[in-house]
Amino acid sequence: METTAGSGQPHGVAFGASGNFSPDAVAASLARGDGGFGRAQETYYDHPILRKAHWRWEIVGYFFVGGASAGSAALASFASQSDDPGDRRLVRNARYTALIGSALSGALLVKDLGRPERFLNMLRIVKLKSPMSVGVYALSSFSTVAGIEAVRQARADGVVPVDPFGWIPPALIAPVKAISTALMASYTGVLISATAIPVWYRGRRHIPAIFVLSGVAAGAALQNVLLALTGPPTATSRKLEIVETVAALAEAALLLHYERAAGEAGNALFAGPRGSKLKTWTLGVGTALPLLLSLPSLVRPGAHNKPHRVRTLLTAACALAGGYVLREAMVYAGRDSADDPRAYLRHPE
Amino acid sequence: MDIDLTQPKMGFFTDVTLCIGCKACEVACKQWNQLPSDGYALSGNSYDNTNRLSSTTWRHVAFVEQMDRETPAASRWMMMSDVCKHCTNAGCFEACPTGAIVRNEFDDVYVQPDICNGCGYCVPSCPFGVVAVQPKAGVAQKCTLCYDRQKDGLEPACAKSCPTDSITFGPVDELRAKAQARVEALRERGTEVRLYGVDGEETKDVGPLNAFFLIPDRPEVFNLPPKPVLPSRFQPAAYTAGLAAALAMALVGAAVFRPSRERA
Ligand code: SF4
Ligand code: SF4
Repeated sequence: METTAGSGQPHGVAFGASGNFSPDAVAASLARGDGGFGRAQETYYDHPILRKAHWRWEIVGYFFVGGASAGSAALASFASQSDDPGDRRLVRNARYTALIGSALSGALLVKDLGRPERFLNMLRIVKLKSPMSVGVYALSSFSTVAGIEAVRQARADGVVPVDPFGWIPPALIAPVKAISTALMASYTGVLISATAIPVWYRGRRHIPAIFVLSGVAAGAALQNVLLALTGPPTATSRKLEIVETVAALAEAALLLHYERAAGEAGNALFAGPRGSKLKTWTLGVGTALPLLLSLPSLVRPGAHNKPHRVRTLLTAACALAGGYVLREAMVYAGRDSADDPRAYLRHPE
Repeated sequence: MDIDLTQPKMGFFTDVTLCIGCKACEVACKQWNQLPSDGYALSGNSYDNTNRLSSTTWRHVAFVEQMDRETPAASRWMMMSDVCKHCTNAGCFEACPTGAIVRNEFDDVYVQPDICNGCGYCVPSCPFGVVAVQPKAGVAQKCTLCYDRQKDGLEPACAKSCPTDSITFGPVDELRAKAQARVEALRERGTEVRLYGVDGEETKDVGPLNAFFLIPDRPEVFNLPPKPVLPSRFQPAAYTAGLAAALAMALVGAAVFRPSRERA
């Protein structure tokens, strides 16, 4: 174990010859029962060196809703390329979801900040160096595009009489949509990875990708729920299940790789009750179970393996629960990692 | 507004070997900056009851007890007045999305309370765990290096009140020269000390600190990280991972929903 105390040869004349700071001296001190005199001072009374963010359920919820909205928006784009009439219902649902999701995202952020006008403080500057600033513009442009597309959809559905954004050429919207959706799905992962918190920065090569994959899986699951609730099962459901399965499997693989790469610094996320919960829900209920449930229809898309409404709902609910637990574990692990001075001392980058 | 280009960087030099733990700095800081009380809880850790820097404690005196039963003469008791480091490359400054955190004309890192929106992103981005969101005010707060006093040509309240000159304030270049002389003087007398925040391992990411320290032990003994990280360094890898995953999923999505005539 690479501890700073382990190599802590006492230096300087004031330290005497007894070796106050070696683990042996601590063991000796404990054996003497002198109540901590002569104990190794690897840290200062074990007080945290770093400080944790105040983020709680609002931010967990924002990470989850934002990811699922971005996933839904992406699915709307993919499905709009298809010529299968069955996919049109998905496009419509996904467009409305993206708008509702981005509005909810904004509301959760405002709830975290305390007052609505505080959101505007972030719009006074553009700062590419700050992932939070990049994220605000990603969210703003994502919401704008989601709004435009939802209005267009409503026009096509005959809900609104005119499309006030009709003059905006699709060629202008497409690139903005692609970039803002990709950032919307990934920036929250960048945001936490680029901090001084060991469990987070150790996962900088994994967390943003895990968030993207989890967002796509959640988006696909959500759309499957909506499809199942709004009409008879179609082949679209199976396509969504394929996307969801690929995303969830890749996510699980990355999560396991992250655990190995992070080593001891990953304890805040992977060890103890939080680790068990993460593995049970995200890997078990969120990935393995849906895979088992949808396996029959994925491998043998025959007549008697048609998408089934109850099974679809169950699969999707599992995937959504796994996605939420992932975001929650990630946010709260950062709090514990900040509180553990040893994580920072032993795992500098 | 005129900008004085000759204005040197101003900072603190805190000498742990001179601190007597009187906490005059903590009190003077609270008083001048009108910071609320932290209550009366006793920590049980020597005479340290504020425990660490916080949104309402901008100077914090640490009490490090190193007792040696076998060689009592080798026992020692060290006090260290901690403060925001006013880093050259400040994690808090880089993270702030509102521009509330600025580098002022004295080269110090200052949070403008009317612009901060309390998002709290600066908090986990400070490699020293200094800045914090004050729950009542809902904005981030930390040492301002007494920006208001400096503007009036006064030294910060803590330095002014320190009875032993353990805290000194002045142009950073002058302070460094002074600190170097002090290190040599102590070494001559046989006391091993080092400077923290001038050119050591700790400055690799965050750069030299405008508030630096003379310490007679390893940094972590005083809760100073030996290798503070600058969070923005992690961004390229993080963006790459996220966008690569987005691209991969776009390919999967496009393949699954490709038009059927291409499929045949
Ligand atoms: S010590 Fe922390 S709060 Fe102070 S300037 Fe450096 S990064 Fe900012
Ligand atoms: S809490 Fe305030 S100072 Fe800190 S990053 Fe957010 S806006 Fe900037």
